[in-house]
Amino acid sequence: MKRSETIKAALISLLLFCLAIGAWHLATLPKESLAISGADVEYAALMGAGAQKASGFPPPAEVGKAFIRYLSDPFYDNGPNDKGIAIQLGHSLLRVGLGFILAILVAIPLGFVIGMSPLLMKALDPFIQVLKPISPLAWMPLALYTLKDSNVSGIFVIFICSVWPMLINTAFGVASVRRDWLNVARTLEVSPLRKAFLVILPAAAPTILTGMRISMGIAWLVIVAAEMLVGGTGIGYFVWNEWNNLALPNVIFAITMIGVVGMGLDALFGRLQKLVTYRE
Amino acid sequence: MSTHFLYIEALKKVYPSSNNTPNSPVFEDIHFHIEKGEFVCIIGHSGCGKTTILNVVAGLEEASAGYVLMDGREIKGPSLDRGVVFQSHALMPWMSVLGNVAFAVRSKWPAWTKSQVVAHCTQYLEMVGLGDAVLKKPAELSGGMKQRVGIARAFAIQPKMLLLDEPFGALDALTRGTIQDELRKIVQATHQTIFMITHDVDEAILLADKIVLMSNGPHAKIAEIVEVTMARNRIRAEIHHDPQYYRIRNHLVDFLVNRSKSYAGAESGAAHDPKNPPVVRPGLEGDNNPVLQPPTENSVPPLKQVVNQ
Amino acid sequence: MDTSRKWLAPVSRARSRRLNRSMLLGNSVPQGVAHLLLKMFVNQLNGSPVMSLHDPFDSNMSLSRCSCGNHGSQAEHDVALVPGDVEGLNRRVVQGAVMRALFPDDIERRRFLSVVGASTAWAAISSLVPFGALEAMAQEKGSLEKKSLKIGFIPITCASPLIMADPLGFYKKQGLDVTVIKTAGWALIRDKVINKEYDASHMLAPMPISISMGVGSNAMPVNVATIQNVNGQAITLHVKHKDKRDPKQWKGFKFAVPFEYSMHNFLLRYYVAEHGLDPEKDIQIRVVPPPEMVANLRAGNLDGYLGPDPFNQRAVFDEVGFIHLLSKEIWDGHPCCSFGVPTQFIKENPNTFAALYRAVLTAAAMANDPKNRSIMAEVLSPANYLNQPKTVLEQVLTGKFADGLGGVQNVPDRAGFDPFPWYSMAVWILTQMKRWGYIKGEVKYRDIAEQVYLVTDARKRMSELGMAVPAESYKKFKVMGKEFDPAKPDAYVASFAIRRS
Repeated sequence: MKRSETIKAALISLLLFCLAIGAWHLATLPKESLAISGADVEYAALMGAGAQKASGFPPPAEVGKAFIRYLSDPFYDNGPNDKGIAIQLGHSLLRVGLGFILAILVAIPLGFVIGMSPLLMKALDPFIQVLKPISPLAWMPLALYTLKDSNVSGIFVIFICSVWPMLINTAFGVASVRRDWLNVARTLEVSPLRKAFLVILPAAAPTILTGMRISMGIAWLVIVAAEMLVGGTGIGYFVWNEWNNLALPNVIFAITMIGVVGMGLDALFGRLQKLVTYRE
Repeated sequence: MSTHFLYIEALKKVYPSSNNTPNSPVFEDIHFHIEKGEFVCIIGHSGCGKTTILNVVAGLEEASAGYVLMDGREIKGPSLDRGVVFQSHALMPWMSVLGNVAFAVRSKWPAWTKSQVVAHCTQYLEMVGLGDAVLKKPAELSGGMKQRVGIARAFAIQPKMLLLDEPFGALDALTRGTIQDELRKIVQATHQTIFMITHDVDEAILLADKIVLMSNGPHAKIAEIVEVTMARNRIRAEIHHDPQYYRIRNHLVDFLVNRSKSYAGAESGAAHDPKNPPVVRPGLEGDNNPVLQPPTENSVPPLKQVVNQ
Repeated sequence: MDTSRKWLAPVSRARSRRLNRSMLLGNSVPQGVAHLLLKMFVNQLNGSPVMSLHDPFDSNMSLSRCSCGNHGSQAEHDVALVPGDVEGLNRRVVQGAVMRALFPDDIERRRFLSVVGASTAWAAISSLVPFGALEAMAQEKGSLEKKSLKIGFIPITCASPLIMADPLGFYKKQGLDVTVIKTAGWALIRDKVINKEYDASHMLAPMPISISMGVGSNAMPVNVATIQNVNGQAITLHVKHKDKRDPKQWKGFKFAVPFEYSMHNFLLRYYVAEHGLDPEKDIQIRVVPPPEMVANLRAGNLDGYLGPDPFNQRAVFDEVGFIHLLSKEIWDGHPCCSFGVPTQFIKENPNTFAALYRAVLTAAAMANDPKNRSIMAEVLSPANYLNQPKTVLEQVLTGKFADGLGGVQNVPDRAGFDPFPWYSMAVWILTQMKRWGYIKGEVKYRDIAEQVYLVTDARKRMSELGMAVPAESYKKFKVMGKEFDPAKPDAYVASFAIRRS
């Protein structure tokens, strides 16, 4: 019963996909090109007539070609400014990973402290509320100026955007650990460290993981923008580089990859979340 | 100072108020004591501060005034000497049944090996009839089973005293009965000193040696202490055959329904000395004369007279 | 096409040698071949473990064995025989390498020399190969302080020389391991240079001045080693403005320039001001990174821009814009971009800087030669460099282009790569910075120009490489018909009706 529903859903998804591609294909069918008189031949050649023009939305077949071209050789390396999609994604993931780990290292302990101390929570709340809504990219000029390294700045931007959801969720998760569990730990004279790791952390873990999942989503959104800004390597740079060339099929390809990887990351955190979620 | 095992002296609790007018104390002038091996229940209406008293004894809360001595030492904060069974079982849902008990056992005996811990835990879980469920998560258990795990956890650390905060309140009558029986058996076997909050008069009569009756809050006090004079090996199925049972029960219900209000606040009057709350034995009333033994020379008028005034 | 393949793939060197030899003997030598020879020569110089030091023009001499037989190699032989004559030795190293590059086979070389005669051969070859420069290079190859360098560039044709030096191996030949890194915008170039992420960089000609003066950034002394390119910019307008060719009709237009401190900004302001528009009141000028200009033009965010190529031509190619005016029509020979190197880097790495200088100048000379432009278009086209259709780049570089109005224009000097950093250029830039209020107070035009622009070094390096060098460092020139005298900058600034100072 459940399985047949899954199959049905998959079929509908597939159908929608085919319809969308079909509509796209029809909408981008090449228009009848006007006959070119002899005198204009040279001009037309210079204007790139006959060649694939970037103007106009690319038909699905063009995009498909881009997919095949990039996916068939994901690891090529044509010098520092032109690398395969897997390498670019690797760079982006590395930046996101580093910034994210940094954010974990800061947000979880700090969130713990804030969550345990209502006083600190009150004291730090205004700062968090002011810093949280700042667009991560707005930090970029400041980061470049102070950190003096564009790569580090990129990682910093990831850090700063991932840190808030994690911090707030950790603090909230820790603050709302059931009084009973804490009391159990108190009556058992459990050491603070043991209490933190065996009671508070697992109790707050679902909330913390939710924060991490939100953070990862934001980080993945931001890395693309950050790399478009700072460039060099990464999927954002890839998009930027293809934008320069107004090569929309490649941009569409990159967008799809960003989506797929983002989905993968979200699924990963979804699984982690499932692992730490407990039923009461 | 005292030879009693647990000694509660002049306990008072005032919660901080949100506005400027000071709150009146939830309870004040609480004096009573528990002997080793005694099973004491406390009964009173909601809001009289039973749970607060238990928490103070557990060390989880601080009293505004007064103190609690156990074994001659003042209680300052929680300790492994006092095991607590919480109203809402308070099991860690991410740990297995065994894990929950083992968490407590490791806290008490950190040096134990894993097999020692497991053996010890299993023993106590078998004691509450959960030998088969050790690897289950609390979410897979029924309410009664969860509460059993809570009891096993409290017993497993072998505390000097056990504090139970209305442990069976959330259970259905049938399950409650079964667990009450189990608890009684275990207590008889272990001679555990127990202080328990309950709302259930029958439960108190079945389990307790002494029942502390509290008047209503605010300004709640101990109205009287009822000694359950029935034989200790009570059996739930037969208890209602004992004539004492109804006398005690009537006495308690009468208190809860009619008299609990009158001890509150100022009108408790000079007649009632909270330092020496009257000890009554309603179970023996019908056979002999009511044995009222006010321990002081300030003789307290019979309680019924208080009511009839 | 064939020549470009040879440049791109050194593997086919043997084949190209044969080809060139036949051309050489047939006396029909295309100019591009000189650079090819240069490249081959440098290959030989760096690559061969044994150098021949005896007279390479002696037809009886074998180049691969010691001539007397007493020494393990010809090198040892020569060192043993001619002590002290370092210069002569050096010349022969160079000449030998060239000869070996041309004639890998000893028998052929002897036959060639005996047929045409050694002196004729020498004359023929030295007309193609700047021996003086090569010898100087060989001499001055002191130990490099830093070999691994990072150089930033913006993907525009202005950067061609310093990009081309990479695939052509000019950096490598100087013993440098250079990574050229594509960068998203000029502000980022500035920051990465200040942060020392880049050792040197492609910069707009005014940037080293503004950065050195601390205008618009922290002050950090940066020098202009060479001008990267002259001309090569254009005013592009959106196709919907095809009928608005008179700047007086541009009131309220939104224009883009790549950076505040850019020739584009100054030239656009100059141009509209000459037509009576106040660039700060009558039009809007925004900063948009060059690569984003076409996209913004298409989106209607801009009415036009004075931008670097290939983005003018790209707008035409994409049918969103037309070329209103080439920048050479405002000021023919204006500088656009420069090769900026932080002063500190030059001081700390004099030998590396010299090597870098030679590589970039060699590349500039190559790029400035119109014969090479088609090949450049092909080399620069891939994603690693400019990432543009080849035909767009070709139109920019050869000057035969579609103007977006239906016409084909032929302007061979649309883009040039004259590297000489005239002080007078810097002074003009300063007059415009002064004019528009970017700098205030008294400006020491000459001091700043002479501090930032490295004319002396450029002159030295260029003559080493056998390039023609002007004798003077200042010159007068005309911008839109109005003469600029670098000796009277203040009067020049004061002569404008529309100005902010």
